[in-house]
Amino acid sequence: MSDFDSSAAVFKSRAKKLATLLASGEERAKLWRPDELAAIFRHQMSAPMLVDLGSFDPRTATRLRTLSEAQGLVLKSFADLFHHPVPRIELLELVKNFAKANLDHPESGLPGEIAATLYYASIAAALVRLDARISQLPDADLQRGLRWTMEQAWLDEKTKELLAQALERAAGGQKGAGS
Amino acid sequence: MKMPGNRLGMELMIQVFYKPRSAIHTPNSMAPEPSKSSIFPRTDWAELNKAAEADEARLDRLIRLYWVPLRIFLVATFPGLKNQADMLLQDFAEDKLLKEGWLRRADQNRGRFRDFLKTSLRNFVLDHLNRAEVKNPPISLEELEQEPPQPDDHTEEFDLAWARTVLAETLRRMEADCKNPGEDQPRRSHIWELFRIRLLEPIFNDAAQPSYDRLIDQFGLKSPTDASNTLLSAKRIFKTHLSRVIREYAGQDAATSAEIQALEDFLVRLAKRG
Repeated sequence: MSDFDSSAAVFKSRAKKLATLLASGEERAKLWRPDELAAIFRHQMSAPMLVDLGSFDPRTATRLRTLSEAQGLVLKSFADLFHHPVPRIELLELVKNFAKANLDHPESGLPGEIAATLYYASIAAALVRLDARISQLPDADLQRGLRWTMEQAWLDEKTKELLAQALERAAGGQKGAGS
Repeated sequence: MKMPGNRLGMELMIQVFYKPRSAIHTPNSMAPEPSKSSIFPRTDWAELNKAAEADEARLDRLIRLYWVPLRIFLVATFPGLKNQADMLLQDFAEDKLLKEGWLRRADQNRGRFRDFLKTSLRNFVLDHLNRAEVKNPPISLEELEQEPPQPDDHTEEFDLAWARTVLAETLRRMEADCKNPGEDQPRRSHIWELFRIRLLEPIFNDAAQPSYDRLIDQFGLKSPTDASNTLLSAKRIFKTHLSRVIREYAGQDAATSAEIQALEDFLVRLAKRG
Protein backbone atom coordinates (compact mmCIF):
# COMPACT_ATOMS: atom_id res chain seq x y z
CA MET A 1 0.00 0.00 0.00
CA SER A 2 1.15 3.51 -0.70
CA ASP A 3 0.78 6.66 1.32
CA PHE A 4 -0.29 8.55 -1.80
CA ASP A 5 -2.49 11.47 -0.75
CA SER A 6 -4.60 12.33 -3.79
CA SER A 7 -6.02 15.48 -2.23
CA ALA A 8 -2.58 16.92 -1.43
CA ALA A 9 -1.37 15.93 -4.89
CA VAL A 10 -4.26 17.73 -6.58
CA PHE A 11 -4.00 20.88 -4.48
CA LYS A 12 -0.30 21.35 -5.20
CA SER A 13 -0.56 20.58 -8.91
CA ARG A 14 -0.69 23.02 -11.76
CA ALA A 15 -3.35 23.17 -14.45
CA LYS A 16 -1.41 20.94 -16.87
CA LYS A 17 -1.46 17.94 -14.53
CA LEU A 18 -5.10 18.46 -13.68
CA ALA A 19 -5.96 18.66 -17.38
CA THR A 20 -4.00 15.43 -17.97
CA LEU A 21 -5.99 13.68 -15.25
CA LEU A 22 -9.28 14.80 -16.74
CA ALA A 23 -8.19 13.73 -20.24
CA SER A 24 -6.80 10.35 -19.21
CA GLY A 25 -9.90 9.63 -17.15
CA GLU A 26 -11.88 9.73 -20.37
CA GLU A 27 -12.86 6.27 -21.58
CA ARG A 28 -12.01 7.15 -25.15
CA ALA A 29 -8.40 7.79 -24.16
CA LYS A 30 -6.11 4.92 -25.17
CA LEU A 31 -5.65 2.45 -22.35
CA TRP A 32 -2.31 1.08 -23.45
CA ARG A 33 0.81 2.50 -25.03
CA PRO A 34 1.92 1.26 -28.49
CA ASP A 35 5.13 -0.13 -26.96
CA GLU A 36 3.01 -2.39 -24.74
CA LEU A 37 1.38 -4.25 -27.63
CA ALA A 38 4.03 -6.99 -27.69
CA ALA A 39 3.47 -7.77 -23.99
CA ILE A 40 -0.29 -7.61 -24.46
CA PHE A 41 -0.18 -9.99 -27.42
CA ARG A 42 2.08 -12.43 -25.51
CA HIS A 43 -0.40 -12.32 -22.65
CA GLN A 44 -3.32 -12.83 -25.03
CA MET A 45 -1.70 -15.88 -26.64
CA SER A 46 -0.97 -17.49 -23.28
CA ALA A 47 -4.32 -16.56 -21.70
CA PRO A 48 -6.83 -19.37 -21.08
CA MET A 49 -9.44 -19.25 -23.82
CA LEU A 50 -12.15 -19.90 -21.27
CA VAL A 51 -11.46 -16.58 -19.56
CA ASP A 52 -12.27 -14.55 -22.67
CA LEU A 53 -14.56 -16.75 -24.72
CA GLY A 54 -16.45 -18.08 -21.73
CA SER A 55 -17.85 -14.62 -21.13
CA PHE A 56 -20.15 -14.86 -24.17
CA ASP A 57 -22.85 -16.85 -22.41
CA PRO A 58 -23.09 -19.99 -20.21
CA ARG A 59 -24.04 -22.21 -23.13
CA THR A 60 -21.05 -21.08 -25.17
CA ALA A 61 -18.81 -21.55 -22.16
CA THR A 62 -19.97 -25.13 -21.72
CA ARG A 63 -19.60 -25.84 -25.42
CA LEU A 64 -16.14 -24.30 -25.36
CA ARG A 65 -15.06 -26.49 -22.46
CA THR A 66 -16.36 -29.58 -24.20
CA LEU A 67 -14.69 -28.68 -27.49
CA SER A 68 -11.34 -27.79 -26.02
CA GLU A 69 -11.17 -31.01 -24.01
CA ALA A 70 -12.58 -33.27 -26.72
CA GLN A 71 -10.69 -36.23 -28.08
CA GLY A 72 -8.00 -35.97 -25.51
CA LEU A 73 -6.96 -32.58 -26.79
CA VAL A 74 -6.40 -29.99 -24.17
CA LEU A 75 -6.51 -26.60 -25.84
CA LYS A 76 -6.09 -24.14 -23.07
CA SER A 77 -4.61 -21.02 -24.59
CA PHE A 78 -5.08 -19.12 -27.84
CA ALA A 79 -1.55 -20.16 -28.84
CA ASP A 80 -2.47 -23.83 -28.25
CA LEU A 81 -5.38 -23.41 -30.63
CA PHE A 82 -3.64 -21.47 -33.42
CA HIS A 83 -0.64 -23.76 -33.49
CA HIS A 84 -2.44 -27.08 -33.08
CA PRO A 85 -2.04 -29.29 -36.17
CA VAL A 86 -5.80 -29.97 -36.34
CA PRO A 87 -7.67 -27.31 -34.36
CA ARG A 88 -11.46 -27.55 -33.93
CA ILE A 89 -13.12 -25.29 -36.47
CA GLU A 90 -15.86 -24.32 -34.00
CA LEU A 91 -13.20 -23.04 -31.62
CA LEU A 92 -11.59 -20.99 -34.36
CA GLU A 93 -15.00 -19.54 -35.21
CA LEU A 94 -15.59 -18.67 -31.59
CA VAL A 95 -12.26 -16.85 -31.45
CA LYS A 96 -13.06 -15.04 -34.69
CA ASN A 97 -16.44 -13.93 -33.31
CA PHE A 98 -14.87 -12.86 -30.02
CA ALA A 99 -12.29 -10.76 -31.89
CA LYS A 100 -14.94 -9.25 -34.17
CA ALA A 101 -17.16 -8.37 -31.22
CA ASN A 102 -14.23 -6.50 -29.68
CA LEU A 103 -13.38 -4.77 -32.94
CA ASP A 104 -16.95 -3.64 -33.44
CA HIS A 105 -17.58 -2.57 -29.85
CA PRO A 106 -16.73 1.10 -29.31
CA GLU A 107 -16.20 0.56 -25.59
CA SER A 108 -14.01 -2.51 -25.86
CA GLY A 109 -10.79 -2.04 -23.94
CA LEU A 110 -8.91 -4.65 -25.95
CA PRO A 111 -6.54 -2.75 -28.26
CA GLY A 112 -7.85 -2.84 -31.83
CA GLU A 113 -4.50 -4.18 -33.07
CA ILE A 114 -4.74 -7.20 -30.75
CA ALA A 115 -8.38 -7.90 -31.63
CA ALA A 116 -7.58 -7.63 -35.35
CA THR A 117 -4.66 -10.02 -34.96
CA LEU A 118 -6.84 -12.58 -33.17
CA TYR A 119 -9.39 -12.19 -35.95
CA TYR A 120 -6.94 -12.80 -38.80
CA ALA A 121 -4.99 -15.49 -36.91
CA SER A 122 -8.16 -17.54 -36.41
CA ILE A 123 -8.99 -17.24 -40.12
CA ALA A 124 -5.39 -18.10 -40.99
CA ALA A 125 -5.37 -21.18 -38.75
CA ALA A 126 -8.56 -22.48 -40.39
CA LEU A 127 -7.13 -21.86 -43.82
CA VAL A 128 -3.71 -23.38 -43.19
CA ARG A 129 -4.52 -26.28 -40.82
CA LEU A 130 -7.99 -27.25 -42.03
CA ASP A 131 -8.06 -25.88 -45.54
CA ALA A 132 -11.30 -24.16 -44.56
CA ARG A 133 -12.50 -20.64 -44.97
CA ILE A 134 -14.35 -19.28 -41.94
CA SER A 135 -14.62 -15.73 -43.21
CA GLN A 136 -16.79 -14.18 -45.87
CA LEU A 137 -14.35 -11.36 -46.48
CA PRO A 138 -13.63 -10.75 -50.18
CA ASP A 139 -10.21 -12.11 -51.22
CA ALA A 140 -8.62 -8.70 -51.60
CA ASP A 141 -9.77 -7.61 -48.13
CA LEU A 142 -8.65 -10.85 -46.56
CA GLN A 143 -5.21 -10.60 -48.13
CA ARG A 144 -4.90 -6.98 -47.11
CA GLY A 145 -5.84 -7.89 -43.53
CA LEU A 146 -3.42 -10.81 -43.34
CA ARG A 147 -0.62 -8.68 -44.76
CA TRP A 148 -1.31 -5.84 -42.32
CA THR A 149 -1.27 -8.27 -39.39
CA MET A 150 2.01 -9.83 -40.52
CA GLU A 151 3.63 -6.43 -40.63
CA GLN A 152 3.01 -5.68 -36.97
CA ALA A 153 6.43 -5.30 -35.37
CA TRP A 154 5.34 -6.82 -32.06
CA LEU A 155 4.07 -10.08 -33.58
CA ASP A 156 5.90 -13.33 -32.68
CA GLU A 157 7.61 -15.35 -35.40
CA LYS A 158 5.34 -18.37 -35.09
CA THR A 159 2.18 -16.35 -35.71
CA LYS A 160 3.89 -14.44 -38.53
CA GLU A 161 4.68 -17.77 -40.17
CA LEU A 162 1.05 -18.91 -39.84
CA LEU A 163 -0.17 -15.67 -41.42
CA ALA A 164 2.38 -15.92 -44.22
CA GLN A 165 1.19 -19.43 -45.09
CA ALA A 166 -2.43 -18.25 -45.00
CA LEU A 167 -1.60 -15.34 -47.26
CA GLU A 168 0.02 -17.70 -49.72
CA ARG A 169 -3.07 -19.90 -49.75
CA ALA A 170 -5.46 -16.98 -49.99
CA ALA A 171 -3.49 -15.58 -52.89
CA GLY A 172 -3.56 -19.00 -54.56
CA GLY A 173 -7.34 -19.12 -54.80
CA GLN A 174 -10.48 -19.60 -52.76
CA LYS A 175 -10.44 -22.50 -50.33
CA GLY A 176 -13.31 -24.33 -48.64
CA ALA A 177 -16.74 -22.96 -47.95
CA GLY A 178 -17.46 -19.64 -46.30
CA SER A 179 -19.43 -19.64 -43.05
CA MET B 1 -4.58 32.48 7.69
CA LYS B 2 -2.50 30.39 5.36
CA MET B 3 -4.39 28.54 2.68
CA PRO B 4 -4.33 24.85 3.51
CA GLY B 5 -2.53 22.67 1.03
CA ASN B 6 -4.46 19.54 1.76
CA ARG B 7 -7.81 18.25 2.82
CA LEU B 8 -6.86 17.87 6.47
CA GLY B 9 -5.84 21.50 6.56
CA MET B 10 -9.06 22.55 4.88
CA GLU B 11 -11.17 20.51 7.27
CA LEU B 12 -9.37 21.93 10.28
CA MET B 13 -9.97 25.43 9.00
CA ILE B 14 -13.64 24.70 8.46
CA GLN B 15 -14.01 23.17 11.92
CA VAL B 16 -12.46 26.24 13.47
CA PHE B 17 -14.33 28.86 11.52
CA TYR B 18 -17.50 27.26 10.32
CA LYS B 19 -20.17 26.71 12.95
CA PRO B 20 -23.62 26.52 11.37
CA ARG B 21 -26.51 27.70 13.46
CA SER B 22 -29.26 25.20 13.98
CA ALA B 23 -32.27 27.38 14.79
CA ILE B 24 -34.38 27.82 11.71
CA HIS B 25 -37.68 29.62 11.49
CA THR B 26 -40.34 27.11 10.53
CA PRO B 27 -43.37 28.52 8.79
CA ASN B 28 -45.25 25.32 9.52
CA SER B 29 -46.55 26.38 12.92
CA MET B 30 -47.77 29.70 11.52
CA ALA B 31 -49.63 28.27 8.58
CA PRO B 32 -53.42 28.68 8.71
CA GLU B 33 -55.62 25.74 7.80
CA PRO B 34 -56.50 26.17 4.15
CA SER B 35 -60.13 26.29 3.23
CA LYS B 36 -61.17 23.03 1.65
CA SER B 37 -63.28 24.84 -0.92
CA SER B 38 -60.61 27.36 -1.90
CA ILE B 39 -60.15 27.80 -5.62
CA PHE B 40 -56.56 28.95 -5.06
CA PRO B 41 -53.75 26.41 -5.12
CA ARG B 42 -53.02 25.18 -1.64
CA THR B 43 -49.59 26.09 -0.32
CA ASP B 44 -47.92 22.96 0.94
CA TRP B 45 -45.95 24.41 3.86
CA ALA B 46 -44.57 21.05 4.86
CA GLU B 47 -43.16 20.54 1.38
CA LEU B 48 -41.86 24.08 1.22
CA ASN B 49 -40.26 23.69 4.62
CA LYS B 50 -38.70 20.40 3.60
CA ALA B 51 -37.39 22.01 0.43
CA ALA B 52 -35.99 24.94 2.41
CA GLU B 53 -34.25 22.62 4.84
CA ALA B 54 -32.89 20.57 1.97
CA ASP B 55 -31.68 23.76 0.30
CA GLU B 56 -30.06 24.90 3.51
CA ALA B 57 -28.27 21.59 4.00
CA ARG B 58 -27.22 21.63 0.36
CA LEU B 59 -25.86 25.15 0.59
CA ASP B 60 -24.03 24.33 3.82
CA ARG B 61 -22.48 21.30 2.17
CA LEU B 62 -21.47 23.19 -0.96
CA ILE B 63 -19.89 26.09 0.92
CA ARG B 64 -18.11 23.66 3.22
CA LEU B 65 -16.73 21.78 0.22
CA TYR B 66 -15.82 24.84 -1.84
CA TRP B 67 -14.53 26.90 1.09
CA VAL B 68 -11.01 27.19 -0.33
CA PRO B 69 -11.96 28.60 -3.77
CA LEU B 70 -14.51 30.93 -2.17
CA ARG B 71 -11.91 32.21 0.28
CA ILE B 72 -9.41 32.73 -2.55
CA PHE B 73 -12.00 34.70 -4.48
CA LEU B 74 -13.02 36.76 -1.46
CA VAL B 75 -9.44 37.67 -0.52
CA ALA B 76 -8.49 38.40 -4.12
CA THR B 77 -11.53 40.61 -4.62
CA PHE B 78 -11.32 42.38 -1.27
CA PRO B 79 -7.65 42.24 -0.20
CA GLY B 80 -8.36 44.55 2.73
CA LEU B 81 -10.68 41.93 4.21
CA LYS B 82 -8.12 39.15 4.31
CA ASN B 83 -8.20 38.86 8.09
CA GLN B 84 -11.98 38.70 8.13
CA ALA B 85 -12.37 36.34 5.19
CA ASP B 86 -13.27 33.24 7.18
CA MET B 87 -15.73 35.12 9.35
CA LEU B 88 -17.37 36.65 6.28
CA LEU B 89 -17.59 33.28 4.57
CA GLN B 90 -19.17 31.83 7.68
CA ASP B 91 -21.71 34.66 7.71
CA PHE B 92 -22.29 34.14 4.01
CA ALA B 93 -22.99 30.45 4.61
CA GLU B 94 -25.36 31.21 7.45
CA ASP B 95 -27.17 34.17 5.95
CA LYS B 96 -30.84 33.35 6.24
CA LEU B 97 -31.96 35.67 3.48
CA LEU B 98 -29.41 34.10 1.20
CA LYS B 99 -30.53 30.59 2.03
CA GLU B 100 -34.19 31.19 1.41
CA GLY B 101 -34.62 30.64 -2.26
CA TRP B 102 -31.01 31.27 -3.13
CA LEU B 103 -30.39 27.81 -4.47
CA ARG B 104 -33.66 27.92 -6.37
CA ARG B 105 -32.47 31.11 -8.02
CA ALA B 106 -29.14 29.42 -8.65
CA ASP B 107 -30.99 26.46 -10.12
CA GLN B 108 -32.54 28.76 -12.69
CA ASN B 109 -29.01 29.74 -13.68
CA ARG B 110 -27.64 26.24 -13.96
CA GLY B 111 -24.50 26.00 -15.99
CA ARG B 112 -23.31 29.24 -14.45
CA PHE B 113 -23.42 28.16 -10.86
CA ARG B 114 -19.84 29.23 -10.14
CA ASP B 115 -20.48 32.71 -11.51
CA PHE B 116 -23.71 32.94 -9.57
CA LEU B 117 -21.92 31.93 -6.38
CA LYS B 118 -19.18 34.53 -6.93
CA THR B 119 -21.68 37.29 -7.66
CA SER B 120 -23.67 36.35 -4.57
CA LEU B 121 -20.58 36.36 -2.37
CA ARG B 122 -19.38 39.67 -3.79
CA ASN B 123 -22.80 41.27 -3.27
CA PHE B 124 -23.00 39.81 0.21
CA VAL B 125 -19.62 41.32 1.14
CA LEU B 126 -20.51 44.68 -0.42
CA ASP B 127 -23.75 44.70 1.52
CA HIS B 128 -21.88 43.78 4.67
CA LEU B 129 -19.43 46.63 4.04
CA ASN B 130 -22.22 49.12 3.43
CA ARG B 131 -23.92 48.16 6.66
CA ALA B 132 -20.70 48.05 8.64
CA GLU B 133 -19.64 51.40 7.25
CA VAL B 134 -22.65 53.08 8.78
CA LYS B 135 -22.22 51.48 12.18
CA ASN B 136 -18.63 50.65 12.81
CA PRO B 137 -16.47 50.42 9.72
CA PRO B 138 -14.10 47.47 9.89
CA ILE B 139 -11.82 49.20 7.43
CA SER B 140 -11.50 52.83 6.56
CA LEU B 141 -13.40 54.34 3.66
CA GLU B 142 -10.04 55.44 2.35
CA GLU B 143 -8.87 51.85 2.30
CA LEU B 144 -11.99 50.76 0.51
CA GLU B 145 -11.50 53.40 -2.14
CA GLN B 146 -7.93 52.28 -2.63
CA GLU B 147 -9.04 48.71 -3.09
CA PRO B 148 -12.28 48.77 -4.96
CA PRO B 149 -13.72 45.33 -5.64
CA GLN B 150 -12.98 44.16 -9.15
CA PRO B 151 -15.61 41.65 -10.13
CA ASP B 152 -13.91 39.94 -13.06
CA ASP B 153 -10.24 39.99 -12.15
CA HIS B 154 -9.97 36.94 -9.95
CA THR B 155 -12.00 34.45 -11.89
CA GLU B 156 -9.03 32.41 -13.03
CA GLU B 157 -7.62 31.89 -9.57
CA PHE B 158 -11.05 31.01 -8.29
CA ASP B 159 -11.77 28.60 -11.14
CA LEU B 160 -8.44 26.82 -10.68
CA ALA B 161 -9.11 26.37 -6.97
CA TRP B 162 -12.62 25.21 -7.83
CA ALA B 163 -11.31 22.62 -10.32
CA ARG B 164 -8.81 21.39 -7.74
CA THR B 165 -11.57 21.02 -5.17
CA VAL B 166 -13.78 19.12 -7.60
CA LEU B 167 -10.96 16.74 -8.56
CA ALA B 168 -9.74 16.21 -5.00
CA GLU B 169 -13.27 15.41 -3.86
CA THR B 170 -13.75 13.08 -6.84
CA LEU B 171 -10.59 11.13 -6.04
CA ARG B 172 -11.41 11.03 -2.31
CA ARG B 173 -14.82 9.51 -3.03
CA MET B 174 -13.43 7.10 -5.61
CA GLU B 175 -10.77 5.83 -3.20
CA ALA B 176 -13.34 5.39 -0.42
CA ASP B 177 -15.71 3.65 -2.81
CA CYS B 178 -13.08 1.24 -4.12
CA LYS B 179 -11.67 0.48 -0.68
CA ASN B 180 -15.09 -0.51 0.64
CA PRO B 181 -16.18 -3.03 -1.97
CA GLY B 182 -19.40 -4.99 -1.71
CA GLU B 183 -19.31 -8.76 -1.32
CA ASP B 184 -20.09 -9.12 -5.01
CA GLN B 185 -17.15 -6.90 -5.96
CA PRO B 186 -14.14 -8.65 -4.46
CA ARG B 187 -11.71 -7.16 -6.97
CA ARG B 188 -12.90 -3.58 -6.62
CA SER B 189 -10.12 -2.72 -4.19
CA HIS B 190 -7.64 -3.55 -6.96
CA ILE B 191 -9.23 -0.92 -9.14
CA TRP B 192 -8.07 2.02 -7.03
CA GLU B 193 -4.54 0.62 -6.79
CA LEU B 194 -4.40 0.07 -10.55
CA PHE B 195 -5.72 3.58 -11.20
CA ARG B 196 -3.24 5.02 -8.71
CA ILE B 197 -0.10 3.35 -10.06
CA ARG B 198 -1.07 3.51 -13.73
CA LEU B 199 -2.49 7.05 -13.86
CA LEU B 200 -2.24 9.08 -10.66
CA GLU B 201 1.39 8.44 -9.64
CA PRO B 202 2.75 9.13 -13.16
CA ILE B 203 0.67 12.30 -13.49
CA PHE B 204 1.19 13.82 -10.05
CA ASN B 205 4.53 12.35 -8.92
CA ASP B 206 6.19 12.00 -12.33
CA ALA B 207 6.57 8.28 -11.60
CA ALA B 208 7.32 5.93 -14.48
CA GLN B 209 4.20 4.27 -15.79
CA PRO B 210 4.36 0.60 -14.70
CA SER B 211 4.75 -1.87 -17.54
CA TYR B 212 1.90 -4.07 -18.71
CA ASP B 213 3.77 -7.14 -17.46
CA ARG B 214 4.10 -5.65 -13.98
CA LEU B 215 0.38 -4.89 -13.88
CA ILE B 216 -0.66 -8.43 -14.78
CA ASP B 217 1.71 -9.87 -12.18
CA GLN B 218 0.70 -7.46 -9.44
CA PHE B 219 -3.04 -7.70 -9.97
CA GLY B 220 -3.31 -11.27 -11.25
CA LEU B 221 -4.97 -10.16 -14.48
CA LYS B 222 -5.92 -13.19 -16.52
CA SER B 223 -6.00 -11.80 -20.05
CA PRO B 224 -5.70 -8.49 -21.92
CA THR B 225 -9.49 -8.26 -21.84
CA ASP B 226 -9.43 -8.70 -18.07
CA ALA B 227 -6.68 -6.07 -17.78
CA SER B 228 -8.46 -3.64 -20.08
CA ASN B 229 -11.79 -4.11 -18.35
CA THR B 230 -10.22 -3.45 -14.95
CA LEU B 231 -8.59 -0.25 -16.17
CA LEU B 232 -11.78 0.79 -17.96
CA SER B 233 -13.74 0.17 -14.77
CA ALA B 234 -11.36 2.48 -12.92
CA LYS B 235 -11.96 5.21 -15.48
CA ARG B 236 -15.70 4.70 -15.29
CA ILE B 237 -15.71 4.92 -11.50
CA PHE B 238 -13.65 8.12 -11.72
CA LYS B 239 -16.08 9.56 -14.26
CA THR B 240 -19.09 8.55 -12.19
CA HIS B 241 -17.77 10.28 -9.08
CA LEU B 242 -16.72 13.33 -11.08
CA SER B 243 -20.24 13.61 -12.47
CA ARG B 244 -21.79 13.17 -9.02
CA VAL B 245 -19.59 15.83 -7.42
CA ILE B 246 -20.45 18.29 -10.18
CA ARG B 247 -24.13 17.37 -10.33
CA GLU B 248 -24.46 18.43 -6.69
CA TYR B 249 -24.06 22.03 -7.76
CA ALA B 250 -24.61 22.06 -11.50
CA GLY B 251 -27.86 20.12 -11.61
CA GLN B 252 -29.21 17.92 -14.32
CA ASP B 253 -27.12 15.80 -16.68
CA ALA B 254 -26.78 18.35 -19.49
CA ALA B 255 -25.54 21.05 -17.14
CA THR B 256 -23.16 18.58 -15.50
CA SER B 257 -21.69 17.60 -18.87
CA ALA B 258 -21.35 21.25 -19.82
CA GLU B 259 -19.59 22.00 -16.54
CA ILE B 260 -17.14 19.08 -16.98
CA GLN B 261 -16.36 20.37 -20.46
CA ALA B 262 -15.99 23.92 -19.16
CA LEU B 263 -13.53 22.82 -16.45
CA GLU B 264 -11.57 20.75 -18.95
CA ASP B 265 -11.41 23.64 -21.46
CA PHE B 266 -10.37 26.04 -18.72
CA LEU B 267 -7.55 23.76 -17.48
CA VAL B 268 -6.27 23.10 -21.00
CA ARG B 269 -6.31 26.84 -21.77
CA LEU B 270 -4.45 27.59 -18.56
CA ALA B 271 -1.95 24.76 -19.15
CA LYS B 272 -1.15 26.06 -22.66
CA ARG B 273 -0.21 29.44 -21.17
CA GLY B 274 2.25 27.62 -18.91
